[in-house]
Amino acid sequence: MKRAEQKAETRRRVLTAATRLVEKRGFQRTRTADVARATRLSHGAVFVHFQSKRALELAVARALGRVLTDRIHALAQEGASFREVLQAHLRCLEEHEELYARLLVEGPLLPKGFSQTWTGIQSAVSHHLLRVAEPAMAAGTIKRQPPHLLFNTWIGLVHHYVVNRKLFAPNGSVLRKHGRMLVDHYLALVTP
Amino acid sequence: MENQAGCVSCGMPFRSIEDHAMSDPAKDYCRHCARPDGTLKSYDEALTGMSGFFQHTQGVDPAVARKMAAETMAHQPAWRGRQPAR
Repeated sequence: MKRAEQKAETRRRVLTAATRLVEKRGFQRTRTADVARATRLSHGAVFVHFQSKRALELAVARALGRVLTDRIHALAQEGASFREVLQAHLRCLEEHEELYARLLVEGPLLPKGFSQTWTGIQSAVSHHLLRVAEPAMAAGTIKRQPPHLLFNTWIGLVHHYVVNRKLFAPNGSVLRKHGRMLVDHYLALVTP
Repeated sequence: MENQAGCVSCGMPFRSIEDHAMSDPAKDYCRHCARPDGTLKSYDEALTGMSGFFQHTQGVDPAVARKMAAETMAHQPAWRGRQPAR
C-alpha cells in the first residue's frame, strides 16, 4: 500500500473509532486518548490526522451529514408518495439513531462549522418532503399551510421521540418501535 | 465513503446528470445556481436563492438565513472567502 493510501486508511480508522465512541458516550465524553487506544495508535498520531478534538468532532458530524443526505436522496426518489418520503426519512435516521441523537443534544455545543452540517441535513430532508408535499397541498390532498410549518411539525415530532428515546423505547431503536405510529399520526394531522 | 463532486457555488453534491445546470455534466454548478439560460448566477443571486430556500422550507429568520447562506458559499470554490455587501 502506498504511503498516501496508508495515511487515508489510518484517517478512516480514526474517524470510525471516534464515531463508535461518540455513539456510546457522546461528543463531550469522547476523549482523543480513547480514540487512540481504540485504533492502537499513539495519542499524538491522532493529531496527525485531525488537528484537534474539535476538528475530529466536526469530521464525525460531517461524515454523518454526508451519509444521511445521500441516503435520503437514494430512498426518496421521484415518484415516491408523501408517506414513502416520511418512511424514508425515518429509515435513514434509524440506521444512525444513536449518533443522530448525540447531534441533536450536543450539536449546539459543537464548533461553528457544525451548523452548516446541520443545515445541510435538514435542507435535504425538507427538500424531499416539500417536493412531494407542495404539489399535494396545491391539489388539496394535504392541508394547505406554510411549507416550513409542515416540515417543522414533522421534524419536531421526530426529534422529540429521538431525544427522549429512552422513555419511549428503553431497549432499542425508538424509530423502529414507533416509526409507523409517528407517520400515521402525522399524516392524520396534515391530511384533510 | 465515496468522494463526491459538488456544485462550485452552493456545494450541493452531484448525484445525477440532472443535478448539473442544463443537465450538462461539463457545468460544475447545479441547476439551482444556474440562470434560465444556463449561466452561473451572480453571487447576490445565488445568495438570495439559498437564503430564500432556508426561509421557505425551514422558516429560518431572513437575517439568519442570509448569514447561513453566506457562510456556506464562502467555502465553495466559486465564491471562496467572499462576503455579502452590507
